[in-house]
Amino acid sequence: MALDISDETLWKSLREGNEWAFSSLFERYFCSMVNYGSSLMSHSNQVQDCVQDVFVDIWLYRQSLQDKVVVKAYLLSSVRKRIARLYEREHIFRQTASVDGLDFLLEFSIEEQLIHDEITASKVNHLNKLLNMLPARQKEALYLRYHQGLTVEQIAEALDINYQSANNLIYRGLQHLRTAWSGDLALLFLVLSRFI
Amino acid sequence: MRKTYQSIDDFLSDSSFKEWVLEGKHHDKWYEWTLSKDESTELMQSARLYLLAMQIREKEVQKEDIQEALGHTWEKIHKQDRTNQQGYLVRVLKLSTVKKMAAILLVGMCLFWVYQQQTTLQSKYLGYDELVSQQNGGLIEQANNTNKPQLITLSDGSSILLQPNSKLSYPNFFTGKERKVYLLGEAFFEISKNPEKPFWVFANEVVTKVIGTSFRIKAYKDNENVDVVVRTGKVSISSNTKIQPANQSVLLLPNQSVRFQRKDLAFDPIVAINTNKPEDINDLTTIEKLNFEFIDVPVSQIFERLKQAYLVEIDYPQEKLKDCYLTTSLSDQPLPEKLKIICESLGGNTKYEMNGNQITIYSNGCN
Repeated sequence: MALDISDETLWKSLREGNEWAFSSLFERYFCSMVNYGSSLMSHSNQVQDCVQDVFVDIWLYRQSLQDKVVVKAYLLSSVRKRIARLYEREHIFRQTASVDGLDFLLEFSIEEQLIHDEITASKVNHLNKLLNMLPARQKEALYLRYHQGLTVEQIAEALDINYQSANNLIYRGLQHLRTAWSGDLALLFLVLSRFI
Repeated sequence: MRKTYQSIDDFLSDSSFKEWVLEGKHHDKWYEWTLSKDESTELMQSARLYLLAMQIREKEVQKEDIQEALGHTWEKIHKQDRTNQQGYLVRVLKLSTVKKMAAILLVGMCLFWVYQQQTTLQSKYLGYDELVSQQNGGLIEQANNTNKPQLITLSDGSSILLQPNSKLSYPNFFTGKERKVYLLGEAFFEISKNPEKPFWVFANEVVTKVIGTSFRIKAYKDNENVDVVVRTGKVSISSNTKIQPANQSVLLLPNQSVRFQRKDLAFDPIVAINTNKPEDINDLTTIEKLNFEFIDVPVSQIFERLKQAYLVEIDYPQEKLKDCYLTTSLSDQPLPEKLKIICESLGGNTKYEMNGNQITIYSNGCN
């Protein structure tokens, strides 16, 4: 029933203490948040807890929430911060190399049902391997951009970096793939054009 | 779709493109594109491969799991809320004596002011007790002292959801040419249609007259105003002639509301309710937010919706009704009528029985 009401409207009602708006946003974004959380921490119970705690804080401190936010980006970045804090507390990631102690754990996979010929299959396979070899941060940026549909500004905020760095993460990732790949490109498109 | 695509990112971030590659939607549009735009087809082809190679296997979260998680979250919130309040009390107790004295004095002054306001309010206004005592008895009074709305079904088939801290007085049977009830507090009314016997609600200084419709009245004893909100049908509202002989009246249409200022005995301008405005949604009760337009929906789901709206128990033969789907509009009837329509649509042998909050459906399955 809440389908037609925009995020902004629900957010505003929530800040004014509307429990129904709170529950609607919870139902709308719980899945995305759990999935993103699982990409940063593998214990699924703890992920669920973190997501719930994000919402607990939102309700308890609703009066000090900002007025103009992109709700989804705000929620995802809150999940990330929460998990980062958890790791800090537990000192699990003392020896880690990554910037804030969080590594993006998900592997990109292949959509096999949609591939009907071997040439495409081998190209997609190759590309998938290259994608999974990218640094965790670049993978995370690509995931946020293309799976969660965030803009570059929102990604910058979620990862707590500046716009240019976020931009670099995404485009350097794509650029790297293109050069690693360009050798086969001309041939590939010649062949592919027959199948589409 | 956008007008130009200049980079892979333009394609990858386009939901229409994604839906085409992954779900086969919008095929004609995109197929045309592959034929016409030479310079960007190459980009598009690689974007397609990227998408195929960049999938994420996401865990499916079940609806019940979300609800369970939501329940846990509310529990956590209540727990934390309590500890926060305790913290606040401790802080108050630690205040210095002077500050404590000042606080006590302030609270005392406030109480005195409220008391004075109360006494003036009582003499000037028309209240529930006065209205009910002027009737010659024979009324049943139901008071809701719980924290949930309570369902009342009247002898004419109308249903009323009485909100917490509210009272309603009504006769066991409506005799004569009018149906009259008396309200203190807040209630949502769904009145069965009967043009020959108009339905009257008396609430503080406001009189509401309808023929058959649904609406809500908010008229608590200590509130400065009386609010009426109309969901369906037409409602005429006026001030009570007992307190204002030359009374004023307004006519409300669906999704309109009006406020009566008790101090000035005057109506504010009529306001249209905008379901896109958060402050408007805030004010609605649960039943007003629910949708009762069903298109090819399992009957079990319709029963669930009714349970949620009226806080009743519905017992029905689940096995026999499991393949029954209904398309029906139930926005404009009181509960007994809604049940009747459902039973009739399901087929000859379906009947319902209503006993307070307990509804039982008897059925041999649907046609």
